[in-house]
Amino acid sequence: MSTEERSSTVTQTGTTPRYRVDLATLDWLERRSDTQFVYMMLLPVFALLGTMAIWPLIYTANISLHADSIATADPIGEFVGHRNYVDILTGEANLQRPFFSLSNPFTSAAPVTLIYTVSAVLVETVLGLSMALILNREFRGRRWVRVAMILPWTVPIVIQGMIFYLMFQPSIGFAVGPLNDLGVVSSTPLATSRDGLLIAIIADVWKQSAFMALLILAGLQSIDRSLYSVARVAGASRIQQFKTITFPLVLPALLVALLFRTIGALKVYGLVESTAGCNTVPTLSCLVINLWSANRYGSAAAVAFIIAAVIGILLVGYLVQLRKQETGGT
Amino acid sequence: MLGRSSNETVGANRRTIRRRGFIKITGAASITAGVAGCFGGADDSALQLTATNEWQNNSDEIQQALYDAGLSEDIEIELISGGSKTDEMQNQYSQWLSSNQAKPDLLVFDSGWTLPFIVRGQILNLEGELPEDTLETIHDDYFEQSVNSTTGPDGKLHGVPLYPDFPTIQYRKDLVEEAGYDWGRHRTDPLSWERFSHELADVYEQSDVTYGYNWQAASEIQLACCVFNEFVSSWGGAYFGNPEENLYGPIGDRPVTVAEEPVFEALRMARTFIHGTDEPDTLDEFAGEITSDEAFQWGLSPSMQPFTDGNAVALRNWPYSININGADDVLGEDMGVMPMPYGVPEGEGEYPGTGGSIGALGGWNYCVNPNTNRLDECLEVLQVLTTEEFQRENFELVGHIPPNPDVLENADDVPVMGRYLDALSFAGEHTMARPATAVWSQQSDPVAQEVNAALMGDVGVEEAMSKLDSRLTELETSFSDS
Repeated sequence: MSTEERSSTVTQTGTTPRYRVDLATLDWLERRSDTQFVYMMLLPVFALLGTMAIWPLIYTANISLHADSIATADPIGEFVGHRNYVDILTGEANLQRPFFSLSNPFTSAAPVTLIYTVSAVLVETVLGLSMALILNREFRGRRWVRVAMILPWTVPIVIQGMIFYLMFQPSIGFAVGPLNDLGVVSSTPLATSRDGLLIAIIADVWKQSAFMALLILAGLQSIDRSLYSVARVAGASRIQQFKTITFPLVLPALLVALLFRTIGALKVYGLVESTAGCNTVPTLSCLVINLWSANRYGSAAAVAFIIAAVIGILLVGYLVQLRKQETGGT
Repeated sequence: MLGRSSNETVGANRRTIRRRGFIKITGAASITAGVAGCFGGADDSALQLTATNEWQNNSDEIQQALYDAGLSEDIEIELISGGSKTDEMQNQYSQWLSSNQAKPDLLVFDSGWTLPFIVRGQILNLEGELPEDTLETIHDDYFEQSVNSTTGPDGKLHGVPLYPDFPTIQYRKDLVEEAGYDWGRHRTDPLSWERFSHELADVYEQSDVTYGYNWQAASEIQLACCVFNEFVSSWGGAYFGNPEENLYGPIGDRPVTVAEEPVFEALRMARTFIHGTDEPDTLDEFAGEITSDEAFQWGLSPSMQPFTDGNAVALRNWPYSININGADDVLGEDMGVMPMPYGVPEGEGEYPGTGGSIGALGGWNYCVNPNTNRLDECLEVLQVLTTEEFQRENFELVGHIPPNPDVLENADDVPVMGRYLDALSFAGEHTMARPATAVWSQQSDPVAQEVNAALMGDVGVEEAMSKLDSRLTELETSFSDS
């Protein structure tokens, strides 16, 4: 189409050609400030986040304020306000297991999750720190040791669960006999809540210690080496160097690692389900899944939000601690 | 200043180019994604059916069998997965049907959880939709318990049984005969549990296999719905009183009857099988230690593996495993099959329908998505499922037991499964459906947990059942209140 023909078309239809609008849009965009431009570019991300994360969260929160509805076509019952939360926290809700019972620490959801989280994260922290301290030193074959240590972390959860499931199957698992002889586990460890919980903790430590080590190692390697030279000149022992230089300076990285692992442990489901099973080791996430499967959407959402609240409180605690570290405790 | 202005100009130019370039690239990417989305959508031309794993593994053969049995060639079938496990399928269906999706058109339902969907009005009522003669065939000729599992409280049929499932005892015929017993004559004349335990203990002692009688005692749904249900029913007990009246409700208005003597006896017998007679809560008149304590961790596959390897005397399992274990390259004709033994004789149970040889009823039903846009085609598929030709072919291909007993009785020429028709037919006529009400998915976990704990000896039998009674009663009450 020639220029004349194009002009003729514009005149005849009385409309602006499309490319002129595009150019005008681009010019308008270019006149925006950097800040405005950045926000405009972020709008799709905000829209996506709102659709994929915030809206489902609000929707689930709304469900948690409604009664369970098992026998009607409408899966959501009538609005009951905070009753689901009160019923769960006071033990009135008829959950499949007691939600919190210290008299049954191995068969109640909250104590099981608490024991799992505290034990796993504690051991992982100690092991992770030790591994990081070793990896931070120069020695022959360090690269190979790093690969060996990180390898468990690359294993998918289901495979990890299957490995430990097979290890503790009496007829085929090599771990049952010796551990049973030592009195550590029973002859059918995956069938008892105490042993099942222990196995889940060991499996978690096996995998996640490497993750802790990686994060702590990153912190260790950011420490200025000259500090150690000064300390050595001043006659500080290795323990004194650790107490006064290494530990305070690696603490922020350690806290971040602790935060990640604590959140992960509080949400544990896949590992437990693929080893001993949720009936034997009932964690809070198991409870949510079981309630959801039974069409008790209100109760399931309420338990999920209670877990989220606990994680939120922990998160705030960690962030406050981190801020203290950054500002030197002021 | 000059230099700074110059830099700003350069920066501005660079920024201009970046912005234009960025807009163009993102525009192009959006168009590409949009076009890809148009071409990548689901194909709606086929009639969509969710399918069992066996059907999915033999998709082409099954589709051909449907066409051979009379399905119109112009109906294109697409078999899809609703989930790899039964509870995954249940959750998936909840989401699909709650959101009123038109697809999948036909859904295969586990008989253990068809009823909650019927109660919630999420499955099409087939009365008035299917032809009268098809409805008559299903109501009059099919395994009654299978039809009950897909019939609503209003008595209306909401699904067509695809196949019933019931357990039997598989055993090493060669070992049993070498020990001097003939269990072949019990194919339609079941043993009592007491005699079974003594004879099996003797066979076990005389043979060199590692395991005696393998069954599933892990704290899983399998224990609640089926294994313990069978023990209890064969001893004349029940979860909720009279099964003929209370199996499907009314929730909250039916008695919880797990803290009763027949249930205690069933548990004591099961404990005897594992722990022997010297432990508390066991029965002296039974032979003990015929089941390994590994059973506490056994689901279906772990309990079956030793038997498949020829390393166990007997196994409780579903018919799919007969097809596997009876294959020529596994146990072949060395494997025998007989119905479940009984605790008290038939008719002498505490409740009607209990006592005698009883296997828990499993199986699957095909139901229509009420939101489908292709109702006529769905109904045509359902009618084909009721034909004798298709049921025989399905039995031969994947081992699904024909839901019409007449078809089963005439299928003795089918390889492997055909050898055990008399035992299968007897077992099919002696089944007990699970109490698959809307609240059962909540109740099956406590049953599995308390029974497993009592079997292991963590708590006494009466204490465990008393606790279970309270938990089930609470659930019944809270459900009827909600």
